[in-house]
Amino acid sequence: MKLTRRNFVKLVSALGASAFLTTYKSDIVAALEENKDYWHIAWLNGGACTGCTISFAQTADPDILQILTEILVGNSGLPIVLPDYMETIHLASGSLAEEFKEKWKSGKAGKRILIVEGVIQDPGYCVIAGKDFREHVLDAVRYADAIIAVGQCATFGGIPAAKPNPTNAKGLADFLKEEGVSKEVINLPLCPVNADQLVVTLAAVIIGAKVELDDYGRPKMFFSTNMHNDLCPYRPYYDKGQFIETPGEGEGCRYKIGCKGPVTWTDCPLRKWNNSTSYCVEAGAPCIGCSEPGWPDKFSPFYEEVPNLTSAIIDPTKLGTGIFGATLAGIGVHAVRRSLRRRKEVEENE
Amino acid sequence: MSNVVIDPVTRIEGHLRVEMHTKTLETSTGKWTVVDKAYCSGTMFRGIEIILKGRDPRDAWIITQRICGVCPAPHAEASMQAIEAAFDVKPTPLAILVRNILHGAYYIYDHIIHTYLLIGPELGVLAKYPPMVPPALGKEGIAKLNLGSSYAQALDIQRKANEIVAMWGGKFPHHQTEYPGGMAVKPTADKIAKTLSKMTEIWSWVANVMVRDFTKILEANERIGEAVSAILDVDFRGLQDLGASTGNFLSYGLFPDHENYDDWLSILYSPGYRKSALIQAGAWDGERKAFDLKKIEEYVKYSWYDNASGLHPSEEDLPKPNKEKSDAYSWLKAPRYDKKVYEVGPLARMINTFGMKWKIPITNPVTGEDFGYFEYEVQNPQGSVIDRVAARVAMTLLIANKMFDWLEEAKSYLGEKVTVKKDKVREREGFGLWEAPRGALLHYIKVRDYKIDRYQAVVPSTWNFSPRDDFGQAGAAEKALEGTWLPEMSVAEICDAIYPEKDIDLSPLGISKVVSWGEALTPALKQLGLARLNIEKVNGNEYNTTLALLVIRSFDPCIACAVHVLRC
Repeated sequence: MKLTRRNFVKLVSALGASAFLTTYKSDIVAALEENKDYWHIAWLNGGACTGCTISFAQTADPDILQILTEILVGNSGLPIVLPDYMETIHLASGSLAEEFKEKWKSGKAGKRILIVEGVIQDPGYCVIAGKDFREHVLDAVRYADAIIAVGQCATFGGIPAAKPNPTNAKGLADFLKEEGVSKEVINLPLCPVNADQLVVTLAAVIIGAKVELDDYGRPKMFFSTNMHNDLCPYRPYYDKGQFIETPGEGEGCRYKIGCKGPVTWTDCPLRKWNNSTSYCVEAGAPCIGCSEPGWPDKFSPFYEEVPNLTSAIIDPTKLGTGIFGATLAGIGVHAVRRSLRRRKEVEENE
Repeated sequence: MSNVVIDPVTRIEGHLRVEMHTKTLETSTGKWTVVDKAYCSGTMFRGIEIILKGRDPRDAWIITQRICGVCPAPHAEASMQAIEAAFDVKPTPLAILVRNILHGAYYIYDHIIHTYLLIGPELGVLAKYPPMVPPALGKEGIAKLNLGSSYAQALDIQRKANEIVAMWGGKFPHHQTEYPGGMAVKPTADKIAKTLSKMTEIWSWVANVMVRDFTKILEANERIGEAVSAILDVDFRGLQDLGASTGNFLSYGLFPDHENYDDWLSILYSPGYRKSALIQAGAWDGERKAFDLKKIEEYVKYSWYDNASGLHPSEEDLPKPNKEKSDAYSWLKAPRYDKKVYEVGPLARMINTFGMKWKIPITNPVTGEDFGYFEYEVQNPQGSVIDRVAARVAMTLLIANKMFDWLEEAKSYLGEKVTVKKDKVREREGFGLWEAPRGALLHYIKVRDYKIDRYQAVVPSTWNFSPRDDFGQAGAAEKALEGTWLPEMSVAEICDAIYPEKDIDLSPLGISKVVSWGEALTPALKQLGLARLNIEKVNGNEYNTTLALLVIRSFDPCIACAVHVLRC
């Protein structure tokens, strides 16, 4: 069945429907092809490592070339291989590159998407063409019809905002709030952004589907499930109390090598990365919780078990708030159940 | 004199500004503008080293790989090796093989991305080689004029290489599966088989398309040399006379022998070569010398810091920024080896391992089919644009070949331990010396009371894009830009000056016309708003920065890493 635009809109609008996007993503382009009214994209890089750009380049079905030639459009009105502006792959440098940023603003109203990668810092910490990145962002935000913050840095501050945050770095939404600008920002955290999530979000915006967001501005379709409770294929090991204690050795749940799955909301186990090849936990590593506000500080040391986190860098008085605390309580219940079950097994064996 | 500024330099990692002071070159054919002095500065600061202080040392490799999302894997590896040196733990042979496989695939991705997407467009346009040029006319352009076909394939192949990284690392960018003493990923016959299968396709593309594309550019290079020599009336051989730097080349080595890890570790403690590794260590200054870790120092006279200048990485303190510092013009430090400017990167690696002549077999690892050799002789002992590109192609082929050996070897270690677990150490220091694709990479960690007390990273782009040092020596790229021609012509005009003949048939696009290369480019560039591509206007004059950008990009600048502690 070919996915029609109408059905696509319905599907994207449906909550908790993240699975379909994995199944149907090869049809996204077909649906978008009906939308001949091309969109304009400016991708700005602030205090970033460019990892999100590179992650975006890993998309498959549709791949980046299809996206750029069939979905987006530059100033020429032709389907071309470049967005209006994207620092890392754009042909133009220097003054022409700045012109392209300006021209994006005069793209058709209602059709301008702004993607921001990287943190926004205090003045002087990121200057492009003599203009502070803060100004680049504020300027572009005024013209943007949809704003997508990609990666941990642009959403919640990520590594550059980690303690002691030497540059007062913050995510885009916090920055805009501080500047008194009220415009919706779609937050796609993870470090880096998951390419699939970005492509689907772009597709949803272009096609006019409402992307429902959670309290942290994240699309519910990707971030409303708990990685450990709802999605982890290793959950049965956890329930049986079977754990890996040396990374790379043995079979079991990664909880004891520091897996933050229990306090992390993301569909990584389902969607995976790099053309659905794998994800951190499947490959054997602990989840480090990069989808969450407060990462990395609230989630490190990365190799410490979740209940031990309060003793580290994070402030224990702030930890008990919200879902984090609730989940910790949940883990406590599980731990009790596990130990009861184990005791029972021991008794039976005796 | 004019002051020509490129800001931002795009198609690199991070934010870079390049300022070029010009001078006039007078020859029998006229007056020409060339670069007299160049000044490079990074324009972004995040403070990663400051953020690391006080954290669990095992977290360092995860945080430092976020220094750069184009080359995260090398930062992870250099950091992990520093942690392991401090923890006094050695990875198992199987872990070393797995790391080689993961990082080998990563390297293939990186060199392909750079060769095709970052430096490829200018190279392809100058060499009149449409497959290297991005498909400006979209799908039609690819199909009808063979425009950008290699560019499009490169996107596909780099993705497949990264699928290998994800298989062994969980994801890319920012893989997650290393651990002090080994790997958290469990090697299986299934993973090895899948990797072999992906590598078979990747190898064929590298051996056929990438090597062929480079050969075509090499052929066109002679023509570029002749044409530019005639226009300027100077002796100019081609891209080997563009971007010459100091002729000093530094390499730390890459891909250790899993059965000889002690040789790999030895240069942390005494001068050496890491001869058992695929890529060896060395400090080339016209001849091959052993690499000596003690000879590295960082200078800050022209950097906006109040820190002491000329210190070894293990002695350096956290950065003390001072925007008002007089004479300073960059936030990058200036690392020096033996007080001299050294270039780092693929060319430095190839020269330190194989000397000036390279011969890499092109034998299909699966079928045994023999396609001879990729042979190359370094054309400019000071380094050049074409030599740097050649080194990148050579390294991609070399690693693609070697991947099959590592995979075969890994099979014989299956079932053995992949990790010797080591969780902590109270007090110690350690170095990790590795190579990012863009050059030599050093991480240093000092642990006190089980926590990170000090962390230093001396990274490739600080070597290549450093400002002047305390002795007044220009950085490698600053030096390489000196003498670069800034033509007062458009890109299309330059193309027509090199290739005046009309031999591009536009009939596949429905236009019955045969035009010159520049004429063919003109409408495409115009339609895309790129007619003024690489033109900087200064005092009413228009300077074309295409050649300067080729020089800059030949070093594969990675500025987020260079300014990990700095700002501009």
